[in-house]
Amino acid sequence: MSAPERMPAPEGPFPPTEEMLSEPVPQEEQERGKAELRAAWKTPEGWRYWSAVNNTEVGVWYALTAFAFMLIAGLLALAIRVQLAFPDSQFLDADRFNQFFTMHGSAMMFLFAVPMFEAISILLLPAFLGARDMPFPRLSAYGYWCFLIGGIFVLGSLLFDAGPKAGWFMYPPLATKEEGIGPDVWLLGLSFIEVASIAAAVELIVGALKCRPPGMRVNIMPLYAWYVLVVGGMILFAFPPLIAGDFLFELERSFDWPFFDPTRGGDPVLWQHLFWIFGHPEVYIVFLPSIAIAAMIVPTVARRPIVGYSWIVLSAVGTGFLSFGLWVHHMFTTGLPQMSLAFFSAASEAVVIPTGIQLFAFVATLMVGRVKMSLPMLWIAGALAIFVAGGLTGVMLALVPFNWQVHDTYFIVAHLHYTLFGGMVFPVIAGVYYFFPFFRKKLLSERLGRWCFWLVFTGFNVTFLPMHMTGLMGMPRRIFTYPESSGWGWLNLISSVGAFIVAAGFAVFLYDLLRPKHRQPQIPRNPWGAGTLEFSHDVPEEAWGVRSIPHVTTRYPLWEQDRIVERMDAGHYYLPNAPDRKRETIVTSVIDGKPLYVQEVTGPTWITILAAVFTGGAFIFPTFHIYTPAIVCGAFAIVCVLWWLWTSTARPPKNDMREAGLGLRLPTYASGPNAVGWWAIWITMLGDATAFASLVFGYFFYWTARPDFPPPDAAHPEGLWAALTAALLVLAWAAIVTARETNGRGHQGVARGSIALAICAAAGGAGSAWLAVADLSPTSHVYPAMLWALMVWLVAHVAAGVVMQGYCLAGSLFGKLTHKYDADLRNVTLFWHFIALKALVVGAILGLAPMVLS
Amino acid sequence: MSNVDQQQEKREFGAEFHSLWRITFCPAIWALHFTLSYCTAAIVCAKGGSVEMLRAGIAIGTVASLVAIAWLGWRSWRQWDLVNDREWENDAGTSEDRHQFLGHAAFLLSIISFIGVAYVALPALLIETCR
Repeated sequence: MSAPERMPAPEGPFPPTEEMLSEPVPQEEQERGKAELRAAWKTPEGWRYWSAVNNTEVGVWYALTAFAFMLIAGLLALAIRVQLAFPDSQFLDADRFNQFFTMHGSAMMFLFAVPMFEAISILLLPAFLGARDMPFPRLSAYGYWCFLIGGIFVLGSLLFDAGPKAGWFMYPPLATKEEGIGPDVWLLGLSFIEVASIAAAVELIVGALKCRPPGMRVNIMPLYAWYVLVVGGMILFAFPPLIAGDFLFELERSFDWPFFDPTRGGDPVLWQHLFWIFGHPEVYIVFLPSIAIAAMIVPTVARRPIVGYSWIVLSAVGTGFLSFGLWVHHMFTTGLPQMSLAFFSAASEAVVIPTGIQLFAFVATLMVGRVKMSLPMLWIAGALAIFVAGGLTGVMLALVPFNWQVHDTYFIVAHLHYTLFGGMVFPVIAGVYYFFPFFRKKLLSERLGRWCFWLVFTGFNVTFLPMHMTGLMGMPRRIFTYPESSGWGWLNLISSVGAFIVAAGFAVFLYDLLRPKHRQPQIPRNPWGAGTLEFSHDVPEEAWGVRSIPHVTTRYPLWEQDRIVERMDAGHYYLPNAPDRKRETIVTSVIDGKPLYVQEVTGPTWITILAAVFTGGAFIFPTFHIYTPAIVCGAFAIVCVLWWLWTSTARPPKNDMREAGLGLRLPTYASGPNAVGWWAIWITMLGDATAFASLVFGYFFYWTARPDFPPPDAAHPEGLWAALTAALLVLAWAAIVTARETNGRGHQGVARGSIALAICAAAGGAGSAWLAVADLSPTSHVYPAMLWALMVWLVAHVAAGVVMQGYCLAGSLFGKLTHKYDADLRNVTLFWHFIALKALVVGAILGLAPMVLS
Repeated sequence: MSNVDQQQEKREFGAEFHSLWRITFCPAIWALHFTLSYCTAAIVCAKGGSVEMLRAGIAIGTVASLVAIAWLGWRSWRQWDLVNDREWENDAGTSEDRHQFLGHAAFLLSIISFIGVAYVALPALLIETCR
């Protein structure tokens, strides 16, 4: 990639010297900067408030919504505990019980745990990094509205007695054969929410890599940012397999393609693989960001820098990798070869090491620090205690023979609640107490907080500690009642009592969170005496994020950089004003945080809500097997997104350069690898490629798992069409690369011609892909169904690629895209690199694989 | 910034960009070793093949992975440069500290990957059949 021509480079001194920083800023200049920033970052008022996209608004909505869903899921759990309190109870019937436990698990995982991480990160990450906002505020807002609509849809199904009831991992054939719309609600509703998760992952990875303040190198960024980076990466590799699985599952439900039907060559175990390739990393995706909150609180409490910063980085990255080698430990009883099971058992034992290291680092920090016990630390202590207990049962469960004994019993229920409650709920509540002064500029009550802690802590242990015993005594999960003679009654009663103690604790927390606090006096800016940038925030609140973006040279700037807050307040640092009344933040280099350019970030809009509503329609209508309105909604969603991109992203700037403060002049536009948009495409496509790889894995899985794949008398795709598919799509890719190069050299006519050629070639490629499999009947056997699925996946991506090429062509014709401002074209080219790769793989599977495998 | 500065920066950045990736090399080797071991075992056990050959193959793959990890670990140990400057924390906002920190992180990750690969190889060492 050559740098784009004729976009000027950054000019001026960097890093700033002490003399530069000590020069006073004239008072009237300070006031002017403040007024400009206030105007640029003004939060919309009245009913327009909901059009806000700023991270501080969206993050709060996100967190409160996730919390509300958690309370609903908690109420479901209470109903479950009431039903199980006594043997032969009639409180819920079997069917409703199934819906409740399925929804409890699904909602806690998909509607609370993951979204809560996204919410907290969207709220906090810019503050940790002294950035004004996330790189793509509208993407966060779009993700939030998708999450809200999807969550209401999924939970609402319970009110109509139409909820899913096959358990939160929806195993076929139980789930594929189930009558009613329950499984469709689960699949489509949650796939829709996964859109929000992937959006958040893109946002957070780019935020952590590119939106750090000038001077913040990777070795001094807050540990939270390291965790976010790792977790974002995990989401990219963990969620797509589930999306691929959902895709196959819904094709079976809607069109009867037999992916999981053994009578026609399918295999239910494939779903289990795809689900757990997502499902096990998922629990670490939930756990790591929560323990990241502990990594922010522990140094503050110990009043010293964290001990073993590198060790914690190792632990985050190591856990991120190793957690992908564990998924089969959920499938130890499926009859896989012993050797395969043992691989996963070994990896499950290995993951304990990095997970443990970070806990030791926290304990070491507390030991050498001068601990000042506070409410957040109380919650962290509770978290460590409970999580370690859960981790130890995990070590037991990783052993295959023991696992067989307790598989599907309440021992598992106890283990997963210990890890998730201790590893996620407790640290998050600690985070709420710790960061509440930052979120709301108020403090929560110390006394209520202690009540809440002891209620939840004792209640939790009373509920789940006996469950280990219940499980060892043989009580299976997911049974709606049990006979008196089983002897499980008294343990269940204890658990049920404990559940209500936990609920009482949460009621206290809820009251403390929501009670009006306007009579509380103004809080100090840094009530805990923390050392990281988020506590340089303005009290009373200002919407601009930071008054000026600091130059950071230490891990704990508030402790170690003299007068940094005072200088930030005085607008000494970068971007202390907004002369054009635009929202801006600084984009820096990945490793060393050198300022690269000033990124304009988008402001309030309704289009994100519209786009989310239409996207929702595209996912929700198919649940009821209504396809026409779904397609219409999908088209409108695309139009909304295009309009939003066209009007507010990568527009040619008014001025190529901007005075950024401290004598630094920065460009206002970037394209290619410097630009945040390019990184976003790259990251999204990495996730997308993972989903595609999961489908290819499915193809080869059938080949290993089934003797009749491909069936001996199977019709195979026409080799000619398969070859033509690959050839035409590679031609389309070559044409778009040519367009990028010629456009960069200023030959606009040639570039436009190349884009037009690329569009024609792509359309031809999509057509021949369809012709290759058109004669095969996907309902007859899993082999043609799999080929069809690969074709559909490829054609859908080519269609998106064609829309993008059309967008570039329009941009070129209307002057949005020129030889100098070519970000759109570079991003689309990047997208096409991935399509070319997919085309080659699909061409090979359609054309070459039959010769090799039969 | 002058042109010379920019060129130097590009070189530095290139080297450093490489080094952020480098901390993931060892875990990536673990991932590759894990995937290959699991896939070959699955194919051999499903399609019928010599389990002895499979175990020998995993042994070879394991030794190769361990050697690669050890070599990367040694390189990152050099990059961390503990022996010369006795610096454990590397918490200053300087190029040198950032460079050594990435070395330290990569070194620690190489140890964990080494253990991980050794663990994953144990089944092939101890289990003699597919069943």
